[in-house]
Amino acid sequence: MTKIKQFSALQVGIVWQRLSGLLDETAHVFVRTSFSSVVRDNWDFAVCLMDSKGRLFAQSSRSIPSFIGSMPRTLKIILKRFPKESLSPGDVVISNDAYHGTGHLNDITMIRPIFRDGKLIAFIGSVFHSVDIGGAPSVTARDSFEEGLTIPVSKILVKGVRNEDVIAFMMENLRAPEETFGDIGAQFSAYEIGIQRLIKILDDEQIDDLDMLVEEILGRSETAMRNAIAAVPDGMYSDEIMLDGFEEPLKIRCEVCISGSDLSVDFSGTSEQINRPVNSVLNYTVAYSAYAIKCAFNPNTPNNEGSFRPITITAPEGSLLNPLRPAPVWARHLTGHYLPPVIFSALAKLIPDRIIADCGSPVWNVYFAGKLDDGQRFIKMFFMNGGHGARPHEDGPPCLSFPSNIATVPVEQFENSVPILITEKSLIPDSGGAGEFRGGQSQRLSFKMISKDPVTMTIRHERVKYPPRGLLGGRAGSPGCDYVNGERIPAKSRMDLKNNDVVTFDTAGGGGIGSPEKRSEEKIIQDLESGAVTKEAAERDYAYKTKESL
Amino acid sequence: MSDGYRLGVDIGGTFTDLVMVDLHNGKLLDEKVLTTPDDPSLGVIEGVKKILEANNIHASKLKHIIHGTTLVANAIIERRGSKVALITSQGFRDIQEMGTESRYDTYDLFMKMPAPLVTRRWRFEVPERIGPDGQVITILDESKVIDVARAIASSDVDAVAVSLLHSYQNPNHERRIREILQHESPDIIVCISSDIMPEIGEYERTSTTICNAYVLPTFTRYLARLTNRFHKMGVNKDLYLMLSDGGTVHESTAAIYPIRLVQSGPAGGAQAAVAINKITDNKDNQGNILCFDMGGTTAKACLVEDGKPMHANEFEVARIFRGKKGSGIPLKIPVIEMIEIGAGGGSIARLDNLGLIQVGPESAGADPGPACYGLGGQKATVTDADLILGYLAADNFLGGDIQLDIEASKTAVKNTIAKPLGLSVVDAAWAIHETVNESMGQAAAIHALEKAKRITDYSMIPIGGAGPVHACNIALKLNLSLLICPPSAGVASALGFLVSPTSFTTLQGGVIPLSRLNFEAVNRQILSMEEQGRKLNTEARESTGGVNVEILASMRYIGQGYNVEVGISKKVLISKNIAAIQQLFEAVYLTQFGRIEPHMAVEIVSWRVVVSGPTPEIDLAVARTGAHSDDFSKGHRRIYFGPKTDFISTPVYERSKIEVGREFEGPAIFEERESTIVVPPGSHSFVDKALNLIINLPVKSGTELS
Repeated sequence: MTKIKQFSALQVGIVWQRLSGLLDETAHVFVRTSFSSVVRDNWDFAVCLMDSKGRLFAQSSRSIPSFIGSMPRTLKIILKRFPKESLSPGDVVISNDAYHGTGHLNDITMIRPIFRDGKLIAFIGSVFHSVDIGGAPSVTARDSFEEGLTIPVSKILVKGVRNEDVIAFMMENLRAPEETFGDIGAQFSAYEIGIQRLIKILDDEQIDDLDMLVEEILGRSETAMRNAIAAVPDGMYSDEIMLDGFEEPLKIRCEVCISGSDLSVDFSGTSEQINRPVNSVLNYTVAYSAYAIKCAFNPNTPNNEGSFRPITITAPEGSLLNPLRPAPVWARHLTGHYLPPVIFSALAKLIPDRIIADCGSPVWNVYFAGKLDDGQRFIKMFFMNGGHGARPHEDGPPCLSFPSNIATVPVEQFENSVPILITEKSLIPDSGGAGEFRGGQSQRLSFKMISKDPVTMTIRHERVKYPPRGLLGGRAGSPGCDYVNGERIPAKSRMDLKNNDVVTFDTAGGGGIGSPEKRSEEKIIQDLESGAVTKEAAERDYAYKTKESL
Repeated sequence: MSDGYRLGVDIGGTFTDLVMVDLHNGKLLDEKVLTTPDDPSLGVIEGVKKILEANNIHASKLKHIIHGTTLVANAIIERRGSKVALITSQGFRDIQEMGTESRYDTYDLFMKMPAPLVTRRWRFEVPERIGPDGQVITILDESKVIDVARAIASSDVDAVAVSLLHSYQNPNHERRIREILQHESPDIIVCISSDIMPEIGEYERTSTTICNAYVLPTFTRYLARLTNRFHKMGVNKDLYLMLSDGGTVHESTAAIYPIRLVQSGPAGGAQAAVAINKITDNKDNQGNILCFDMGGTTAKACLVEDGKPMHANEFEVARIFRGKKGSGIPLKIPVIEMIEIGAGGGSIARLDNLGLIQVGPESAGADPGPACYGLGGQKATVTDADLILGYLAADNFLGGDIQLDIEASKTAVKNTIAKPLGLSVVDAAWAIHETVNESMGQAAAIHALEKAKRITDYSMIPIGGAGPVHACNIALKLNLSLLICPPSAGVASALGFLVSPTSFTTLQGGVIPLSRLNFEAVNRQILSMEEQGRKLNTEARESTGGVNVEILASMRYIGQGYNVEVGISKKVLISKNIAAIQQLFEAVYLTQFGRIEPHMAVEIVSWRVVVSGPTPEIDLAVARTGAHSDDFSKGHRRIYFGPKTDFISTPVYERSKIEVGREFEGPAIFEERESTIVVPPGSHSFVDKALNLIINLPVKSGTELS
């Protein structure tokens, strides 16, 4: 039996490197064979390894942050229903419970136990976003039952054989079952490769006791995070941020407390849960809070549970950030994406060199549902990113996804798939918040309907009333705005568009950092030349007079 | 055999390598000179003169010159290309600045994005629009084009890239814009995207077109200088250039598509591995090769299967942030597929915030270089570790041209790694060596897995300066049992040029479901692509041997985003056999992903036609003159092979003096001018008829990776 002290720094380093590589490879197999654009283009999924005690010790590196840490909680619920002794090689357990998982029904979690010499040694699991999950998710949903099918904890594979009852149940309730099951099958293949690789690594490195190695890895991650937290002064730092909300605005308040090597975030003072689908279940709240802290304190270590041991996240029960069943949760990113900016602004005075100003997020998207010319129905989602927040020592990049990480779909791909033309995709002048370092520019996207039949459009956009804030003297970015044929429309709406109608979206610009007075003349001239800033804005924001205007 | 010589010249970052074959007797001659970065043609000419003089050959005897260069890649990496303007569809001039809108690093708030090569001021929009089916939605506003053309004509712009939406379906607007531009300024260089890379995806197609325009003036000026210098020394032969996909083309074709040269040197290395593998007479070898090329700052790995390197149709150039995928400029060009790892001899070892050793991607470069160069480097590098472990000899680096300082290495390793970790200097050096080998082995294994291959089915051919030092250790990690170490591994790329066929790939995009394939249109298109390929592959016309035409379709299930390449014969296309195409696709898909989706419909995304001439044969079995000397021993040196064996007194041999057929038991060290082969205990090796050192390693069996 391997003793814990026999893991040298060298061996841990190499094994860890191999484990991370293993999961990236597993993720890659999934992406290459997936059928959905959200998996392929947006990497809206995660693959994780947990030890026999259910501790997450490695996660695919390019996954979007909303999945951080949720898998061990889901595993706990799964083990309640199927204790370890009831699991066999080849079993795969499925669930999409929003309150035990990642916060909405579209995210389907699957977990497969890994056996070695007849003994359960670990779990491989993945969670992915299914574009449709049945039901009628919409901004008007009043509870989570409206939002689609809940798949209770069930075995979808029993010893490698399909459980046809569970599959039939799902097939009947989904609008696009082929796509969802294409992705589920792709994950089954990915697990096979992940498991073979894990066993090979354990054999190569002669590791008998994986749990002990995991403890070593988690311990090192924990120490790294603790060192980073301990390096900044103790204290309480708080801030709040306003959300556009619905009839009324919503508020998130956070208080970050640093004490020695511990860090806690508490969200007391946040608005109460509402009967609109923007409630963020605690798992999702924890994921985006932990993500922000990792980015600010310790961005370059691999992602595992150890990094989060020194961190406590709390939110009052019944609040927007810890809702009770059956509050609707479908569009919880409209709340969750505000957590990194409010945590960063709370920490701005403490660690001004490690944070960024507000980005033009929550990420915007639009759903188009209509008919192709041959009568076949289509439903298409398109994501649009806003400007990135300014950085402490440089301007924010234009149109860069944060805190999610969602790539844009190429214009030519989009137009090949649906009868809608994109007539403009361009950077908006003066959209980046002024500052010593300017916020990133946002974009204008225009879509023209060219099908015979009307197209139903659904949007739910934030940052229209409250634009992305600047930090440390920097100004806010421009707010977002939606138009149909040049007329403003509500940012949360659903409407039918007819042939030749043009819908236009201006996403929100990133916030600036530092006083605009400190901006260098060189940068102002560059902005004028590129058109990022107009003459009028240069004069207004930077008191800069161009030669022509003098 | 005919009279005269064929010459391969590869300009690398540090050295310009030359390999020449005597067409009369098939013998190879090598030369290596320093690269002259300010005007690389000077180095080439110096090298050519040197190799001719050293072998007493008259310049007129050069029959054929094949050339590869880092010039194209470096122009982009160092941003030293020409001033380019972009003309694009109304409403879309900012596409290059927005890119994919995604972050390539999830946690780093400050990751860098590459700045666009064309600033916004020089990106022009013109009213026009073509739909996804190629139909004109808005006709081109020529008066606006004339305005833009005049603005460009009166500026200092050297070249114009034109990239309109859906031009891969209908190139007419782009062609008309080119005419107008050339009418307004007859000398201006214009690259249109429907010519450079007619494939779906506006961001990548446009960036490829811009890069082509960006390097074109520099490249053609360089070619003119080089040709001029050759003429002055009495060489009047046309030049051939090595492309990134392993084919060579006449200089006139290279001058139209210079971006396709971006990886010419590494492509040569892969082609050399193919040739070396052909001649080895080892029975265990199944023709599957892992070509492992490790130099000063990076290592590259390429898989060769059944004598063919793997291909890809995309490449990322000029990564600006820790070599990370996504931090560079995307190109759509045919390339030999390789993975690149930011780990070479100069890579720096450091401790991360977990107290674990990380090696690279930061490199000490050539100046100050590794601590042992004695040029002021304080940081421990891979080369320093290799010196401490005894793999390198202090007085034999580059044939003794550089005297290495082992004490400086020990100090650097001690201060930066050993002391903080409480390890001995030797243990720390071993840890550095192991860590870098693990990175490379893992990257190679992942690469193989991505291709649904088992790395254990491969033999390794190590090339590059540092490749042979690390090769055996990496092979042991990967459970590879066989290595083929060619002589003159340091000039392998230039040798590769001499064994590459002339070849040109044409491409045409256009997404269509297989069930709705219009065979008349496809056959017409393939024919015209073949004609274009024959036109651009001038050698294919001159060649007495047969011309090979390969037709490839990029295919996938409808709804997927990644394609597989399916070879389809003309016969199948002419007989309009949809079922046969479906079967061909399924066979490839099954091999790559282990399953098929019988209920899903299939689509074709693009077509590729490769027109290639015959592959030039060099009989490597007679190409190198073996020495007949018993005087190859250079004594013994203490070499560290890991904590189990500690330092072992190991025989050191002079590689160039060992004759064919000689056998050795490991451990052993084989020294050459530019590299050293480190052979571990328990191995058996011999010198084959082509003077390759064939190493059989003692690998474990039964733990294969599938």
